[in-house]
Parts: sequence; C-alpha cells; structure tokens
Amino acid sequence: MLEMLPHWLSDWLGPDGMANLAYITNGKHLSWYASVRYTLIAAAFGAILAVFFGLLGAAAKLSKFAPLRWLGDIYTTMVRGIPDVLFLLFFPLAFEQGVEYMMAQWYCKPDELAAATTWPLCANVQWYLSTTEYMILACVSLGLVYGAFAANVIYGALTAVPKGQLEAAHAFGFPSREVFWRFQVRQMWVYALPGLSNVWLLLLKATSLLSLLQITDIVSWADRLGAPNYSPVAGLVHGDWRWKYYLVLFIFYILLTWLSEKFFAYLQARAGRGMARAN
Amino acid sequence: MDSIFNAPFVQDLVTLFKPALFNLYFLVLAVPFGFPLAVLLALGKNSKNKLLSMPARTYIYAFRGSPLFIQFFMFYSLSLALNPGVWKPLGISWLMIHPLFIGPLVLVLNTGAYAAEIFYGALQTIPKGELEAARAVGMSKWQEFRTAVWPNMLRLAWPAYTNEVVFLFHSTTLVYFTMPVINEQKDLLNKASELFEKDYNLFLHFSAAALYFLVISIVIFFLFNLIYKRLTRYLNVEVSLKIKPNYIR
Repeated sequence: MLEMLPHWLSDWLGPDGMANLAYITNGKHLSWYASVRYTLIAAAFGAILAVFFGLLGAAAKLSKFAPLRWLGDIYTTMVRGIPDVLFLLFFPLAFEQGVEYMMAQWYCKPDELAAATTWPLCANVQWYLSTTEYMILACVSLGLVYGAFAANVIYGALTAVPKGQLEAAHAFGFPSREVFWRFQVRQMWVYALPGLSNVWLLLLKATSLLSLLQITDIVSWADRLGAPNYSPVAGLVHGDWRWKYYLVLFIFYILLTWLSEKFFAYLQARAGRGMARAN
Repeated sequence: MDSIFNAPFVQDLVTLFKPALFNLYFLVLAVPFGFPLAVLLALGKNSKNKLLSMPARTYIYAFRGSPLFIQFFMFYSLSLALNPGVWKPLGISWLMIHPLFIGPLVLVLNTGAYAAEIFYGALQTIPKGELEAARAVGMSKWQEFRTAVWPNMLRLAWPAYTNEVVFLFHSTTLVYFTMPVINEQKDLLNKASELFEKDYNLFLHFSAAALYFLVISIVIFFLFNLIYKRLTRYLNVEVSLKIKPNYIR
C-alpha cells in the first residue's frame, strides 16, 4: 500500500519515517483504528436511549399518579448512590441470565430443573453472547444509567418552562396530554441543553468501559499493541509501549470532548434564537 | 436469631466488609490530597497571570476531558515502563507500581481537576461587595483571601464538592479494573464478581455490593452536610444538602 504514496512524500519522510508509517498502518493498527466504531456507536445509541429513558423518567417524576412518581424518584436516586460500573456489569449479566432462565423453562426437563442448584439450569441452555449482542447490551446499559442523569436534567427543564405558556395552551382547549407533549416538551429543550451536554460528556467518557463487556474496543487494542514484543516474527520488537498508546487515547478523548463542546455551543446558540437573555 | 445470620445476604455483607475498606482506603487517601491540589488549581485558573492560569486551565481541561479509566491505565503503564530504568535503581519499585499507591495518586490527580473546576466556579460568584469591602478597609491580599475569598468559596462550592466526593468514591471501583489484584486485596466489585463466578447468583452479590455503595454514599452526604451547616452557620438560615443525582460533573 505504501508504494502508492507520491515520491515527494516518501522522500520527505525518509526511510525512518516510512518505517514508522509502515508500523502505524500495519494490520493490527488498522484494526485498532477501526475499533473506534464501537466507541462511537455506543456513544451515539447510548445517548439516544439516554434521552428516551430520560424523557420517560422525567414524565414519571411529574406524573399525577404517586407510585409512578416514586418509581421515577427511585430510578433517578439509584444512580446517585451506586457506581455506573456496577450497573454496566449488572445489566448485561442480568439480561443474559433472564434469557437463560426463560430458555430453561422451555428446554430443560422438569427433573433437571428441580435438581438444578447452580447456573446454568441445564446443559443445553447456555447463551453465548457475541460482540454484537454485547454492544446492544452496552448501549442499553449506558442509556439506562445516563438516562437517570438525563431524567433529572429534563425534569428541571420541564419545570422551567414558563407557566403562562401552558396555561395559554389549556385556555385554547388542549387536553393535558397534548399540553405536555406539544408545549412543555417542545419548549424544554432549550433549558435542558446545557445539562444534556454535560450528560453527553459523561456518557462519552463512560464508553471507555466497553472493554469490561468483552468488546475489543480501542482500550483493549491499545493494551495489546503496546504490550512488549520480543519476537521479530510478530512484528516490530519493542519494550513496554502501553503508556504511549494510552496517551494517544487520552488525547483522543480530550479531542472528542472539545468537539462536543463546540457542537453544543452551536446548538445552544441556535436553540436560543428569539429567547430573552439576561445578559 | 441463628437464621438471620445464616441468610445469604447477611453472609455476603460480612464477606464484603473487608473489600469495602479498600474502596474507603482509596477515598480517604484521595480526598485530603485532592482538596489542596484543587484549591491551588482553582486559584491558578482564576489568576490574572497567564503563566499561572494557562497551565492550570490546560490541566483541568485535560483531566476533565478524558476518562478516569484511561488515566489509570496511562499512569500505571507509565510507571511500569519507568520501573526497570528508574524505580528499580532507586529501590522504590515496591511502592511505585503498587495499586495501593498508583490508585490514590491517579484519583488525587483526577479529583484535583474536577474539584478545581467547582472551586473556580465558586471563585467567580463570590459577592463583589465583600471583596470591595475588604479592600476598602485596607486589608492586605492575604487578609482579603482569608476573610472574604476563602470562606465564601468554600460555602458556595460545598454542595457541588460533596457530589464530587461521592463520585470519587464511586470511581474507586475502577482501580482494580485497571491494575492487578495483589494477595486478596480486593475491592467491593472484585469480591462481588468473584462470588458471582462461584454460584452465578447475580442479584444477591451485586445488590449486597450496591448496598455498601449506597450506605457509604449516604454517610458521606451526612458528614459533608454537618460541615456545610457549620460553613453556613453565620447565615442564620436552615440549609441542607439534598441527596440527588448531580449532572454537573
């Protein structure tokens, strides 16, 4: 591939530069760059689900029906006291066990079920998850955990919508349901954006935890590529370079944060058009 | 009586007591060192001198903009890479590559940045009148800091700082996901995962670990609320911290 580079570029790089270029574009490194997709997919779908669960949570917190309100409050306070890592490990495992339990009701013989003391309940209900399934579960877990954060942001934003607007909608004869969805939710975004931007930044940083769910994401690739190599057959011989690879990831995440901040500043400016500002 | 103590959940709580001490150890070491670092960084970021404000600003941005998970990996592998050349000859490799040292170190560096941003925000909102009053009565810079800046900064930042400390406590779970476990020095999540791998009873072991996290978080809130009451006692109003998820970190 590298022979296709123009001569002026390969001359300018020199033999050392070309060797370095060959090293950082070898198959393993290309796989590393490609694994960024897991991070970005988890961040994107996690964020969409987080907004979805956030809306549900906020609607529950605002509900007129007390048990629903309690449910919303429990949901948002759970993340206060329990680390996100625990949820990230718990949800996929719980889902896997739930599916295996249902499979067991279907496939296992009654005497096997009765005798079962440990997991799996019988030999033929082992569900082996692949990366795709783990990715889906990771997105859902991220959505659930950060959905609780988003629920608080959205709850605050919903209560910040001027009462007059809602009263006007009621006066025009809109039923309560429509007032909520067509007026309160429509108008809350501009109040929710700064908070949602913070939730997004948290979620983005949490995508580094994907390797805990057996996904070969950028972190586990960095660990493999940086590990010391003493056999020339396996490629370039080098010592422990892991810190260099982690430094790259460190900078990568700072860049992502910077880009997100710029994007949200733009969105905020756009959403705030026509709004009265204090300054 | 006998049956309560033999209940699996209670047995889990007993088993998880020692691991909980490891999480607490990381917290108790990180807070006293992280607090002064954060104050210095906040004052640096607030300074008019570019030579002070730029490095502080960059530091805070870098450590708030990247995941703690990566920071743990980075500092641990850096220390491992320095081990043959630097720590071994100095004879301190037993310390420098030990999770019980690197863990709190990285937590201090991280919480320093997060708390500095909180304190910086507080410095920005100190009532201007109090600073002007301090200057008007002819106070020196140090007197002004001691009487007008410091108490106000602490009072304004305290609720957010409490949230940060709770977050820091939750972050201690990441230490043993990035570093090796040495001789049974396991934290809550390690031990819970180990128990899970024995009998696959997910809900039992993870909820026992979660209960520890919840209870310790509530205790942190309680202690910090006592300090908050003391910081705001001159205001003559009842204030208290609310246990609610914050979304400013």
